[in-house]
Amino acid sequence: MSKLRFFWEQSWLLLVSSLIFGVLLAIADTAWAPRIARNEVEKFTRLAGGMLPEAKRFEPIESKIPVDAGKGKTVQVEVYRAVDDSGRRVGWAFVCEGSGFADKIKLVVAADAGFEKLAGFGVLSSNETPGFGDKITIPGGFYQKQFVGAPAQTLTLVKTGDAERIDSEIVAISGATVTSQAVVDILNRYVSAVRTALQEQGLLRN
Amino acid sequence: MADNQTHLTRTFLAGLWQENPVLRLLLGMCPTLAVTTSVQAALTMGASVIFVLIGSNLVVSLMRNLLKPHLRILMFTLTIATFVTIADLFLKAYQPAMSAKLGPYIPLIIVNCIIICRAEACASKNGLLVSLADAVGMGLGFTGALTILALIRELLATGQIVFEFGHKVTLLTLPEVPLFRMAGMAMPVGAFLTLGLMLGGVKLLTEKRA
Repeated sequence: MSKLRFFWEQSWLLLVSSLIFGVLLAIADTAWAPRIARNEVEKFTRLAGGMLPEAKRFEPIESKIPVDAGKGKTVQVEVYRAVDDSGRRVGWAFVCEGSGFADKIKLVVAADAGFEKLAGFGVLSSNETPGFGDKITIPGGFYQKQFVGAPAQTLTLVKTGDAERIDSEIVAISGATVTSQAVVDILNRYVSAVRTALQEQGLLRN
Repeated sequence: MADNQTHLTRTFLAGLWQENPVLRLLLGMCPTLAVTTSVQAALTMGASVIFVLIGSNLVVSLMRNLLKPHLRILMFTLTIATFVTIADLFLKAYQPAMSAKLGPYIPLIIVNCIIICRAEACASKNGLLVSLADAVGMGLGFTGALTILALIRELLATGQIVFEFGHKVTLLTLPEVPLFRMAGMAMPVGAFLTLGLMLGGVKLLTEKRA
């Protein structure tokens, strides 16, 4: 028996099933991907709107901003200008992501109109450990609160400190240092790159 | 014909009680302990498991005579993973809040031992109808156990049973008695304690019957 015939006899079911299942998954993805994307946009608007309460709508700026995502990868970030009823700029918001303890963490980060202070962050998706790392997802929780009003510059994670004091030092969640560090790293990577790009494009001037 | 029907009924009923995957076989413990903080989450997990069980049992039953021994587990996993991904995408599209709440536990159905156990023990040896009856019985047995566990935990932890469909609907509220507010019930310790008591209850019941 030829090798090719032996291979086919042994694996045809696996190959045919993979093809059928692949088509089935492609159909499901095509059917539901637009709805999933819409859900994500709604979640972004809800999270960013919660951090910038004056914002009535979010308008994407003309060009995407390249950010070094580590390991030699560059991602193009879509940055949104938050404007109020009268069209006045009240802040900025964008989506960023990075590796957490268990999986990727996807965040919405918002900053004030001059991009000097953070308005906070919200979690779009994370699979961090329930009871520990998932504390980053609690809106108004002790971890998230430390970012509201923090300077839009390099942040540092400390294990102990005053979590009530709003500055560039972020106090880690007990038992979830990796997750806490991951959030700080994501913000450090994206915030300065976005601010610099906005400054260079002259978008931070009133 | 009558024998066939009896076999089908017996297979279906076995999953509900005699071979209940959670209470008798102690399978699927991870989701049982992890997602039973709320009844809605337990029901969503149960519905997802029923969907995956039915899908994988039917497909495995259809291909049972074509399976090569060395590819058996690989084929089971491929089939289960496909149905789990469909369930995950569906939840992300139509139940995004619940999908976020259940987090990794929906994708983790791929490694849920109930599903692979039924594919191996039943679907790979039986026809379509028996496999379907087994999937529905086992799925309902799993969902039932999860729901009872979640009902006890959610009620004792929060004092109420709440469903969210865009807005909150409170189905049941306990009176304001300190005994009825045990925050620990929402934590892993509450899951172990409640499950342990439930297993003890089931053991008592079955021993009395014997």
